[in-house]
Amino acid sequence: MQKFITEQNFNTLIDRLIGAGKRVVAPKLNAGTVLYEPLSGSGEMVLDQLPRRSGKEAFFPLCEDIVSYEKEGQKVKLTDIDPALFPETLLVAVRPCDTAAIPVLDAVFSWDYKDQFFLERRNKTTIIGLACTSSDDACFCTAVGISPDDRRGSDLFMTQLEGGGYLCETHSEKGEALLTAHAELFTEPNSQKAKPLAKPEVEKVDLQKVKAWLDNNFEDPAWDSIATRCVGCGACAFVCPACHCFDIVDEGTEKSGKRRKNWDACGFWKFTHHASGHNPRDGQPKRYRNRIMHKFKYYDDKFGQTLCTGCGRCIRLCPVGIDIAEIVGDISRKN
Amino acid sequence: MHPEKQKHDFEPKIIAFVCTWCTYAGADLAGTSRMQYPSNVRVLKFPCTGRIDPVFILKAFQQGADGVLVSGCHPGDCHYIAGNFHARRRFATFRKLLEFVGVDLQRLQFSWVSAAEGGKWVEMVTDLTERVRGMGPMVEFKELAMEEQWSGAINTEELKEAYEAI
Amino acid sequence: MTMIDTTSYTLISEAIKTEAKRILTDGTVTAVVGYAAARRKGSVQPIVITTPEDADKLLFSKGAVNNLAVYLTKAKKEIPKTGRIGIVVKGCDLKALVGLMGESQLKRENLYLIGIPCSGVLGSIIQPDTELTEDTIAPKCLECDVHMPTGCDFIPQGAPITPELEKKYAAEIARLEALTPAERWSYWKEQFSKCIKCYACRQVCPFCFCEQCLCDRNKPQMVESTPRPAGNFAWHVIRAMHLAGRCAGCAECERVCPMDIPLNLLNRKMAKELKELYDHEAGLEINEKGPLSMFNEKDDQSFIK
Repeated sequence: MQKFITEQNFNTLIDRLIGAGKRVVAPKLNAGTVLYEPLSGSGEMVLDQLPRRSGKEAFFPLCEDIVSYEKEGQKVKLTDIDPALFPETLLVAVRPCDTAAIPVLDAVFSWDYKDQFFLERRNKTTIIGLACTSSDDACFCTAVGISPDDRRGSDLFMTQLEGGGYLCETHSEKGEALLTAHAELFTEPNSQKAKPLAKPEVEKVDLQKVKAWLDNNFEDPAWDSIATRCVGCGACAFVCPACHCFDIVDEGTEKSGKRRKNWDACGFWKFTHHASGHNPRDGQPKRYRNRIMHKFKYYDDKFGQTLCTGCGRCIRLCPVGIDIAEIVGDISRKN
Repeated sequence: MHPEKQKHDFEPKIIAFVCTWCTYAGADLAGTSRMQYPSNVRVLKFPCTGRIDPVFILKAFQQGADGVLVSGCHPGDCHYIAGNFHARRRFATFRKLLEFVGVDLQRLQFSWVSAAEGGKWVEMVTDLTERVRGMGPMVEFKELAMEEQWSGAINTEELKEAYEAI
Repeated sequence: MTMIDTTSYTLISEAIKTEAKRILTDGTVTAVVGYAAARRKGSVQPIVITTPEDADKLLFSKGAVNNLAVYLTKAKKEIPKTGRIGIVVKGCDLKALVGLMGESQLKRENLYLIGIPCSGVLGSIIQPDTELTEDTIAPKCLECDVHMPTGCDFIPQGAPITPELEKKYAAEIARLEALTPAERWSYWKEQFSKCIKCYACRQVCPFCFCEQCLCDRNKPQMVESTPRPAGNFAWHVIRAMHLAGRCAGCAECERVCPMDIPLNLLNRKMAKELKELYDHEAGLEINEKGPLSMFNEKDDQSFIK
């Protein structure tokens, strides 16, 4: 289904949903930084900047409680978090590099174990994607096979038009339901041209070639030259739309506390540190190798997909300028 | 006979980090001398003020303290010769940091109380307790402890009730 | 808008290449830690070279923001610590090296210092292809007193050009100090709430070389490891405290923060207080003891009853 909506009506739609008690999450300025956060009004939306963190947060929170405990005498009372109580959410103005990662994440969270936390939040979220009209030299979505108007992962996809307003296209029942429920705000599509798409000026990478090289070069001196500079923070993984490792921690006092699920990153030395003191990944090159291997080989082996959508966040934010696009490009040119 | 205990609306929780050689002995003297002081104070004994890490003070506030008292030997009296001199610099710096991040320093008291100063201990505890009582509960850290990142927060009423019922 | 003249960086780059080639060839050093160009226009990466042929990769530019001293600490096991190591340092980085020498982490005789006559670098390399102006220059450069490092083994020719510009940290600290405690609390609460505990601030800090950080320990757990507002607040307060009197002011923590938390404000505030209290300042003189590992019997104790 294709419909047209004016900017004003789009804002009305957002405000109406917020008014109805729905959690509407969109790029918003928070203490000087654009992040996906719940809005209190449509005026807070910032549509011209890629948020610093990705949209995965809506289903895979930075941290969430999974169970709480309380000790009463000799007994311990456990209370599960009921996923049925997660709020209905509308995730708005999500760039294609973020939406495209969502089906990729679905694969792992509904694989051998069905992650109720992820899946329930996912079910309760409607995603409105927005075609991308601005890019910089860190963007490389087209290199990994994603386009600035990729519909993957969007329930409703919006394209900004030259003369203002958006062309809306539904891609799922959720999207159609949203459009139908507020039909009066939409009109039939007109012949207006879409704003030109952002086109990252990058060469397409042959991901099969990258994988073929990774298959055979687990031990290669290149890893040292690539990642000796890595300082071992988690910035790349935490801003990535596709990284999904987490850690389970128990926090609280002996009387009561919570078991929590927190983001984790393979760059941390602690990530593979054994209780014995042994660490199988005993240096940053090995840890960074895992990042590349997981994204371009292991995930492909298991799910037939690549764990990178080319958003470029890790390139922009790496403290030491490690450039995944350059690394993958170099690998693809090796024999 | 104990005098009738006055009833208050708010009983602050005061954590006292004390050194074992001076202030702890001073508090003990206050006890054996049957001096009265507010029971709001929970005393934690350390070998020396030099062992009292600023992180303990922060942790105390985070775990619900309304006021914190840190007390040890007078300068020159340290059992370990210089522990309290080091501690003095550390605390002087830490309070500046706490002040900068917005903690009201009225809730944090440092003192030197010797083993002979049972009366001074009583005075310190009473002063801080009354001052903090006047200020009310330390809500900042308690509110902070309740806050969640938006993504992990569950705002539904049912769960709020469930949490409160715990 | 004042532009910062960085034309001298081209000649400086050439001099670094020549010197690195020389010291690697004659065996003065086993490795050189420096800067090299990366893919994006204007972007720079740290690099460790061990052969004279690789010396041509070295350069210095407005994007050479990193404090390379971090690679010489024991926290970075990947860098060989055998023999003498050459390192390219700006004045601010040199202060960090001096601090590490004071803390017995490094020995001067094991280093070959290539000092940079530095006019300033960018405050952020998120978009490295940016002109260096009074707006884009790192705020630390506006307060820099070591544009021309001293005591190095080699310094390329060049005179740093440093126009007098407004000092941003001093003004911001004064603004925050003038607020009420409640206002300051809400300012920092908002800032710290953005924290995602990626620990980039810790990992790039030359002084965060602990084998295991207090905040990574869970028995006992002094700081909540969860990136919730409470745990974030504790982490940043402890970080600032552990760096008080040690921080050399390279401001890498602030530059690398993916959430733009003004972390160096805390470090600068602590530096200011330690200057007032104990007349301590990070500098180029090696001191065996920092202000918080020594004392004076006459230290101020007006805050102690």
